Amino acid sequence: MSTQEISLEKLRVRQPRFEGIESGHRACLGCGEALAARLVTEAAGPDVMIANATGCLEIFTTPWPESAWRLPWMHSLFENTGAIAAGMESALKAQGKPTKVLAFGGDGGTFDIGFQALSGMLERGHNVLYVCFDNEAYMNTGIQRSSSTPHAAMTTTSPPGSERMGKRHLKKDILSIVASHHIPYAATSSVAYPSDIRKKVRRAIAIEGPTFMQIHCPCPLGWGHEGAHSIEVARLAVQTGLFPVIELERRELIGSMPIREPRPVTEYLAMQQRFRHLFAKNDSRAVEELAHIQALADHNIKHFNLRGEGADALDSEGADTVRRGGMRRS
Amino acid sequence: MTMKLTRSGFALPGTTLSYRTGTWRTQRPQHLHSAAPCHAACPAGEDPQAYIALLDEGKPRQAWEKLVSANPMPAITGRVCPHPCEGGCNRGEYDSPLAIHSIERYLGDLALEKNWSYPVAVQTSGAARVAVIGAGPSGLSAAYHLTRMGLKATVFDRVTEIGGTLFSIPDYRLPRDVVRSELGRILATGIEFQPNHQLGRDIYLADLQQDFAAVYLAPGVMQSQDWSIDGVTPRDLHQGLQLLKQWGDVNSLPEMKSAAVIGGGNTAIDIARVLQYNGVKTHIVIHSSMPDPNNPLEDDMRAIPREIDQALEEGVQIHTHHGIKRLILRGEKVTGIEIVRMRKLRNEKGRLHRVAFEGTESILHVDQVIPAIGQVIDPTGMEKLLRNTSYFKIDAYGRVEGHNDIFAGGDAVEGNGGTVTEAVGNGRIAAEAIAATIRHQSLPSLDRGAAVTFDKLNMAYFEHGERAEQPILPVGQRTCEAEIEGDLTASQIAAEAHRCFACGNCMSCDNCWTLCPDSSVLKTQEIASDGSHYVFDYDYCKGCGLCANECPCGYIVMVDEL
Repeated sequence: MSTQEISLEKLRVRQPRFEGIESGHRACLGCGEALAARLVTEAAGPDVMIANATGCLEIFTTPWPESAWRLPWMHSLFENTGAIAAGMESALKAQGKPTKVLAFGGDGGTFDIGFQALSGMLERGHNVLYVCFDNEAYMNTGIQRSSSTPHAAMTTTSPPGSERMGKRHLKKDILSIVASHHIPYAATSSVAYPSDIRKKVRRAIAIEGPTFMQIHCPCPLGWGHEGAHSIEVARLAVQTGLFPVIELERRELIGSMPIREPRPVTEYLAMQQRFRHLFAKNDSRAVEELAHIQALADHNIKHFNLRGEGADALDSEGADTVRRGGMRRS
Repeated sequence: MTMKLTRSGFALPGTTLSYRTGTWRTQRPQHLHSAAPCHAACPAGEDPQAYIALLDEGKPRQAWEKLVSANPMPAITGRVCPHPCEGGCNRGEYDSPLAIHSIERYLGDLALEKNWSYPVAVQTSGAARVAVIGAGPSGLSAAYHLTRMGLKATVFDRVTEIGGTLFSIPDYRLPRDVVRSELGRILATGIEFQPNHQLGRDIYLADLQQDFAAVYLAPGVMQSQDWSIDGVTPRDLHQGLQLLKQWGDVNSLPEMKSAAVIGGGNTAIDIARVLQYNGVKTHIVIHSSMPDPNNPLEDDMRAIPREIDQALEEGVQIHTHHGIKRLILRGEKVTGIEIVRMRKLRNEKGRLHRVAFEGTESILHVDQVIPAIGQVIDPTGMEKLLRNTSYFKIDAYGRVEGHNDIFAGGDAVEGNGGTVTEAVGNGRIAAEAIAATIRHQSLPSLDRGAAVTFDKLNMAYFEHGERAEQPILPVGQRTCEAEIEGDLTASQIAAEAHRCFACGNCMSCDNCWTLCPDSSVLKTQEIASDGSHYVFDYDYCKGCGLCANECPCGYIVMVDEL
C-alpha cells in the first residue's frame, strides 16, 4: 500500500462537507451553539446569506479583523435580526437571485429583544429561515435569565435563595407563538441529533416563505457542565421530555421524535450546576421543584404525544445510533 | 491582505484560521487502539473484533485470514472451545454477548468449503528446521505458525494419523471429517509429517536437538492415571478415554446396563453422554460442584458448562460434591458403589483436601465404574526433562525450564485447562519465540494491553439486538453421530457481526467528525497512519473531550498536555 503525507491545510479543504464556519473561532470548549450553527450551514449549503443577531455566535465567530464564516454574513443588532433578514431577502428578490436568507439569533435575541422584528418578518411572509440557537439564557453577557430559561434554573439574575428556587417563571413556548403567524413550517431540534437538524434545515430551506427552527444547544459555561458532556446533556433533555423535538406545519403538529423509554428528569438536571439547588438536602422546596419539573416533562410527553410505540429507528434512542456498514478497521 | 474599511468593518472568509485555538488546550484527544475484551480473553490469541470487523465489511476471506493468523483450526475450535471470548464480550453487559464461536465456526467451515489457501510465507530451501513432537492441535499449531513464518517444521507422531486427542472428542461435538479436512489443509501448507515415530523408541530427543534448530514437545497426556478404591479395582475396569477412543474407532462398547463415571472434566461428560445414547443409565460422581461464577474456581467442574447442561437434558445424573467410598463387588464384578457427600476444604495451611461427611452415605446400583479422572503424560523419551514430574514446566514463551531450544505446550504443560484453544495458543507463542530465537531477534511482546471496559463505550449509539442462538438438536433426536449444535445461517452471521461494538477500535461512524464544535477532526479518504479515517488538527482542537465522550467504541482517549 502506498503512503503519502498530506498537510492538514490541504486535508482541511478536502473535507467532504460544506463548512459554513471555520476553525479558529473563539467559542468555549464543547460549545453546543458553535456545533449547531456549523450543522445548519452544512445542510443549508453555500448559496445562503446570513443575518446574525448580537450574541455569543456573533462574538466568537467574528473577532475583527477575522471571520470564521465562509458565507456572506452580516451582524445585525440584538433587536432587529428579523428586519435585517427581511431586507436582505427583499433585495435579493429584486435582483432576481435565488440565494436563501438565514437569520440566526440566540434565545435572548429571539424570545425577548428581537421578538417584534421576528414577528414582523413572519407576518410579512419573507422567504427566510430563522434559526434560534436556544441555550436558555443570555450567555454572552454573563448568564442572565431570558424568557427561554427553564423553570427553576439558576442564572445570575435568577439566583436560588431563601425567596425562590431559581427562575420562578416558565420557559416561553416560542414555537407555538411563531407558528401562530400562519407560517408553513416551524420545528424544534437538538444538537444531540445532527441528522435531525440537517433533515429539518433542508426541509425548511426548500419551503418558499418564512420558516423557523429552534435548536436546543447546551452551554457548558452557563449550564455548568463539562464541555465533553454537551451532547449527553442535550440528548437527555430530549429523552426526558423536557425539550420536545417536534415539527409544526400551519400550527398543526405533524411530526415528533418519539421517546422510547422516557428518562427521569433528575438524570438531566443532576448533570448541570444551574440546577444544583434542586438537589439540596433537607429542602422540601427542592423536592417540590423536582416533582414540578418532572410534571412539566410528563405534560410535554402527553401533550405532544411523544411516547413511542416500541423501538423506532428514528426515535430519541435510534435517531443517531451508529448505522454500521462503514469501515471498521482491524 | 487588503482591507477596506467602510462605516463598518468587514473581514475575509475563514480568516479565523490564523488564530490557533489549540493553544488553549490542557488535554488532547488521541486515538488509542486497545484490545477488545474478546481478544484479551482468547487463549489462542485470536482477535475476534478484528475479523468480525472485516466480516462486517463484507470481506469473509480477509476475515478468515485474520483469524488463522492466530488460530489455524477455527472449524474445530468454533465447535469445541468453551469460548471465554463470549464471557468477556462487552455486549453481555448491554443485552447478550456476540455468538463469536458461531462466527468462528462459520469462517472455518467457509474456508473448508471454498478451499481458501492459508496465508503462509514462501518456503526457502535454506530455512531452519524445527522438530515437533505430537500431531495434535498444539503440535500442528506450532508447525503451522513456524511454516507461516518461513521455517521448516517436521511433525512426529506415534500413530499413523494426525489429530491426536481431537479424535477422543465424540462426533456429535466434533465430526471427524471436519478434523480430517481442516488438519489436512494445515498439513498441506508445507509441513512434513512423520507417522509412527515414538519418542524414546524410534527417535530420541538428543538426536533431534542435533538435527533441528529447536524442538517443540506437544505429546499430550495419553496415559490414564491408575485408579483404585482402597487398592481395589474391578477386573473389567475401563478408563473413560479408552472407551471414547474405542467407540470412535470401532463403534462398540462393553456390555452394561448402568454405569458410574468418576470425574467432572470433558472426558467424563463425553463418555457419560455416549453411554446414555447407547441406552446405559449413567451417573457422574464428582467431588466438585456445577460451574457457577459465584463459586471458588477450584470447586467448579472443569467440563464446558453447555456440555454439562446438555448431558443433564439427556438424562445423565450428576452427583456433585460426592465421592466414592467403597466398591460393592460380587466376585470381581461391580454391582454398585457406595458414595458419600464430600467437599474440598482448606486446611490450616491453606491446602485443599477432601473431607467426606459421615452419615451421608448412599448406594448407587451400577454394573460399571468408569474413571475419567484425567490422564498424565507418557514420559518415555523425555524422562530427563520431566525430572519425575508429570508435567512440563514452561515459561511464558513455552521454553522448558533450563533449555533454550526445547519448547513445550498443550495438555502436557503445567497449569493448562486441557482445551484445544490453549493448546493452539501454546503452539503459536512457542513458534513465534522459536523463530525469534533462531533469527536472533528479541522475543515478541506477549502483552495485549488492558482491554476496553464497558464503561468506556457510549451506549447511546447502539441499538439493542438479540443474539442469534445456534440450532440445537432436540434431546429425542440426538445420537452419537449427528452434530448436536448446528450452524447459523449466513444472514444470522451477518447480523451477529453487525452487533459487534468494535471495542477499542474505530468503526468510522463519523461521530467525532460530526460533533467537533471546532471542526478540528478531519476526515481522510485514505487510511491515516493510526489506521482510522480521522486526524485531529491540534492547531485548533481546544481539548473539550466531546469526541472522546461520544466515541461509541472507546477509541478516543483524552491525555494531559505536558
